Amino acid sequence: MKSDDIVLRIENLRKLFPAERKIFGKVKLFVHAVDGVSYEIKRGESLALVGESGCGKTTTGKILVGLYEPTSGRVIMEGQDVTPYLFENQKGAERYIKEQYLEKFKNPPSLTDDFDKNMYDLYEKFGKNDSKFINHFLKDRKKKMIEIRRKVQMIFQDPYESLNPRMTIFDIVAEPLNIHDIGTAKEREDMVAQLLEEVGLSPAETFMFRFPHELSGGQRQRVAIARALILNPSFVVADEPTSMLDVSIRTGIMKLMMRLAQEHGMSYLYITHDLAVARYMANRIVVMYLGKVVEMGDIEEVLQHPLHPYTKALLAAIPVPDPEYKRGEPDIKGSVAKPINPPPRCRFYDRCPLAGRECEKLPHPDLIEISKDHWVACHVVTGEVKGK
Amino acid sequence: MGRTVLKVDNLKMWYKTKMGYVRAVDGISFELKEGESLGIVGESGCGKTSVSMTILRLLPENAEFKGGHIFFDDGNGSVDLVSLPEDEMRKYRWKGISMIFQAAMNSLNPVYKVGDQIVEAMLNHFPDMSIDEAREKVAQLFQLVGLDPKRMDQYPHQYSGGMKQRAIIAMALSCDPKLIIADEPTTALDVIVQDRILKEMKKIQQKLNMAMIYISHDIAVIAEVSDKIAVMYAGKFVEFADSVTIFKNPAHPYTYGLMHAFPSVVGPKTELTTIPGEPPNLLNPPKGCRFAPRCPLATDECREREPEYREIEPGHWLACHHPIERGKEVKFDEK
Repeated sequence: MKSDDIVLRIENLRKLFPAERKIFGKVKLFVHAVDGVSYEIKRGESLALVGESGCGKTTTGKILVGLYEPTSGRVIMEGQDVTPYLFENQKGAERYIKEQYLEKFKNPPSLTDDFDKNMYDLYEKFGKNDSKFINHFLKDRKKKMIEIRRKVQMIFQDPYESLNPRMTIFDIVAEPLNIHDIGTAKEREDMVAQLLEEVGLSPAETFMFRFPHELSGGQRQRVAIARALILNPSFVVADEPTSMLDVSIRTGIMKLMMRLAQEHGMSYLYITHDLAVARYMANRIVVMYLGKVVEMGDIEEVLQHPLHPYTKALLAAIPVPDPEYKRGEPDIKGSVAKPINPPPRCRFYDRCPLAGRECEKLPHPDLIEISKDHWVACHVVTGEVKGK
Repeated sequence: MGRTVLKVDNLKMWYKTKMGYVRAVDGISFELKEGESLGIVGESGCGKTSVSMTILRLLPENAEFKGGHIFFDDGNGSVDLVSLPEDEMRKYRWKGISMIFQAAMNSLNPVYKVGDQIVEAMLNHFPDMSIDEAREKVAQLFQLVGLDPKRMDQYPHQYSGGMKQRAIIAMALSCDPKLIIADEPTTALDVIVQDRILKEMKKIQQKLNMAMIYISHDIAVIAEVSDKIAVMYAGKFVEFADSVTIFKNPAHPYTYGLMHAFPSVVGPKTELTTIPGEPPNLLNPPKGCRFAPRCPLATDECREREPEYREIEPGHWLACHHPIERGKEVKFDEK
């Protein structure tokens, strides 16, 4: 597969938040919000990120749009390592390049990853000079940061809070054009008008100079979608964009988002807690539990044949809109804990109905491909440990 | 089934605003018997929460009764709550009818132990009760809702969201109500916790033979807990029937649209319906049928004359000029 066909690749992404405040001494307690997560999104494909509140799905999204800095890990967008540009200051980016590449380059034969090898070639081109290599990433850093942010846009959950109440709809949708300095005033107006029509706010002239408070929730979310699309991003992080909307309005927004993805050749990272909505919005699914990916793969395959006990419990717990349907009992113990300095064993151990004796001693399981594009992280399911 | 606990008859409650009356509850009738559970489903702003607040008469100052009756029978004869003086009404709240509010878990007082808060509520309604008796009762209630009675002496911050909601349910049950109104009690919770709470509520309701009104925008949740379902649109009930009829043979186009707009994780992936337009403003609802501007079957008659809310077959009520025939498909215009 050409790396160009992969819009986004996340490798071993981690984000730790300090869980205590100290004036002196080092913080020792951390919330492991995202803890070693890897997946990729192919061009034209959408990925649903699902899990309960606190599993790290929104944190992942916020890292990708540059709202949080990653603690470690690599983000590759359209064949380019963009991680250095996700840090607010230069120091973070420098540290990242040193840890991610220069450390490894001391021992070239250990490089197995194609991307690392390409980077090593580049390193040789700079005559194996560390500071030249670092500079290659850091020069024009601000410019590149803006470029990355242009490729990735975000749609937020609450359309009542994500639109500035003092700006007109035109100003809101055209603001990204101002920031990125695209087009003349006339061109901007045309672009905004065309996009408003596309998202179903038609005729555009009647909406352009109104304020958000004059619009309903569904219309506001359409404005938020237009704002995300005006820069023609490669992919959009959509964080529960329909959960605040009413049922009769929600399907309209879902269909609109799917149509736009097709027309603009764009991918979604669709963050949701609702597996039923995920089924309609994405081709692939990543199920997260306390910062870890527990199951991943083709969405129909995962929903029809869930393997991980957590996915099974989630599916069994979803109410079905059919009074005659008898669903199973979710097989799960206890409740979600906060992942503050969690033990190295499987994150799901304390709630798992399958866990065998050895699960306690083994580290958190790796994701293993059980069948074509169906990955699961469980010692018992993969047969490594005999479960109950 | 037993005696009728609640009979609402052509109830109208409007909110007075500077711009005119908001017709939040506009002519609603239904009956609820002992041990029955009714689900009221509708979108935000359709008046479903106003219905529950009207029954409990927990209304803001600008609310005005515009007609109708609420007959409530706790076993000592039927009274009309609408005409009851406020101090009489207080006796019925919590003891006769109790309520679980939206985001109720945030209503626990953080500086008092959870058990003490429930004991306080009970002593208010049963002044003759001793504290020990009340604590004994609370311990039983905790067991009933699946909480460890030892947790009575803990503070709300030591509880998880699901546990707080269970404590609130225990509190709602503390005065042996005949009717319990639950207004979106699980919306803020994760699915696995929601599932446990729903099952618990259903179990308790059946065990205590209480009447329950369950209000939600989520038809899947309503399907789980209700024997009967009322579909509410713009201040009115548009359809009312047992839950299987509502789901399998909806007669009102709005009910049909709602049922087909809901994605499901089971069964084949079907095309989802979009209902065009937006719900009307209740300050100035459309003449005729309130759903007509969004309805694919609407005719001139619908736009002119309001359909009567009538019983089309035993137990199945409907307000529509052009009911959908059994098994017929309806296409909504998506633009």
